[in-house]
Amino acid sequence: MEIAAAALLAVLAALVLPRVAELFVLINATVFVSMAILALSLALIWGFGGILCFGQTAFFGLGGYAYAVAALNLGDSAYAVPIALAVPALAALALGYFMFYGRISDVYIGAITLTVSLILFNFANSTAGDQWHIGEAPLGGFNGIPSTPQLNVPGDPDATLSPQAIFVVAVLCLAACYVLAKLVLASRFGRIVVAIRENEVRAELLGHDARRYKLGIFTLGGLIGGLAGILFANCVFVSPTMFSLFYSGQVIIWVMVGGVGTLFGPILGAMLLQGLTTWAGTLPGINPNAILGVILMLAVLLLPTGLLPGATALLGRLRRRTAP
Amino acid sequence: MTALLEARDVVMRFGGVAAVDGVQFAVDQGELRGLIGPNGAGKSTLFKCLTGQLRPTAGRILLRGQDITGLPSFAIARLGVGIKTQVPSLFDGLSVREGIMIALRRQHGERAARGLAGAALERLGIADLADRMVGLLAHGQRQLVELAMVVAPEPDLILLDEPTAGMSLEETRRAAEVIRDLNRHHTIVVVEHDMQFIRSIARTVTVLHQGRVLVEDEVSRVLSDPRVRDVYLGRQVAA
Repeated sequence: MEIAAAALLAVLAALVLPRVAELFVLINATVFVSMAILALSLALIWGFGGILCFGQTAFFGLGGYAYAVAALNLGDSAYAVPIALAVPALAALALGYFMFYGRISDVYIGAITLTVSLILFNFANSTAGDQWHIGEAPLGGFNGIPSTPQLNVPGDPDATLSPQAIFVVAVLCLAACYVLAKLVLASRFGRIVVAIRENEVRAELLGHDARRYKLGIFTLGGLIGGLAGILFANCVFVSPTMFSLFYSGQVIIWVMVGGVGTLFGPILGAMLLQGLTTWAGTLPGINPNAILGVILMLAVLLLPTGLLPGATALLGRLRRRTAP
Repeated sequence: MTALLEARDVVMRFGGVAAVDGVQFAVDQGELRGLIGPNGAGKSTLFKCLTGQLRPTAGRILLRGQDITGLPSFAIARLGVGIKTQVPSLFDGLSVREGIMIALRRQHGERAARGLAGAALERLGIADLADRMVGLLAHGQRQLVELAMVVAPEPDLILLDEPTAGMSLEETRRAAEVIRDLNRHHTIVVVEHDMQFIRSIARTVTVLHQGRVLVEDEVSRVLSDPRVRDVYLGRQVAA
């Protein structure tokens, strides 16, 4: 049911928006969709895996950079995309291996993931100058890689996709990730992941190796975060900002406001809050971060479970009140 | 015959304190063994060593003659050991049925797991709780849910740490019935400090005192042993 609704919504957005929206709006919408995918990746890791990853942008940035570097070197984005998915997934696998098999406790996982994203941020920032390049791709330091190539029709590097087509691809990716997440959570693997979130000791006493399951969901989150990075790179360009504290903090806010423990909530949270901060950025003399901060405080105080669970509970209450 | 579970000279130290101080202990297939002792005797520490939650400072733990010392608890569970902790350890955010299905998902598919979970709930007389959220249950119900979770996968050996703590009389009676019934097919070790309960279920009892085995004998003889009465009343005993 939910999957069908998500598919319908995606098809509608993909069909209608490219026809009616101006280019600037459409590119912005693509950014929002990539942010929603990033939020979905954290929703899986945090909301269902119970792993509070403060540095989800590490995978977002790695996906973007790997895509830009691979596309500049290989020419065809059909080769660059798998590489750009593999790099963040492998990074998550390696980082997760040390964290989970080292039995690092939750608080330190937050600190370590945040630190990793900040190290990447600082590293990317310090790659200015001609000596910093991977093959044909200059890393560009603070400026990033403005020449990030667009996706192209597989096999034909000259046929780059239009912003309209990239928007459609992004929407399809979001829908696919949502369906994938739903299927994973309904599977045996997903159910055990949720059980581990509920009580890791109990899950282990029942014979489940919690380390393996946490590593699995963390790697999947890294992969999806990387996909978000690839799409982001296609509408803006890659730069160290992708790794920044600004973004890693925002992802957590999106998931929290949308509803930890839901999939659709964080997607909604990302789009609404991104929309709001973009709009607030156009207002004179107002810092959008201040607005974001106020919203976070209000959400924590008024809707502690998040927008989606809060709205569902409210609807339920209204329905009961109006029922005869 | 090799014992099903054996502890050889197990020592567990926390800093300078030896909570378990050279315990020798063997349980044969089919037994229902009580492990008792006053507070601080080392029962729960020994239990955690047996279940892989603590790695003993010295000594060995054998399961069917195989050394399992220091194995993580999930690996011990996979060898056919069901473990119930003292404070019920449950999946609070899941329904009772889903929680019990988690115990079965390693070996069974969705449909079989659902069926077996239903059977385990029936067995403990809590089928009516199946769709309730675990986090909303009363303490005694939580104990029964955990028991159902432990027995659902039909382990060879069941280790129970104070299974009746916080249960009502009726629930305790039901738990005793269930444990006796389980013993027809499973070997069971029950850690308890409630002597009455132990008397109602166990045949052989091991008494721990100050981290060592004080007595090990048939239950009525143990309960009339003056040394056992003394340690329960807090008198000093030369072990």
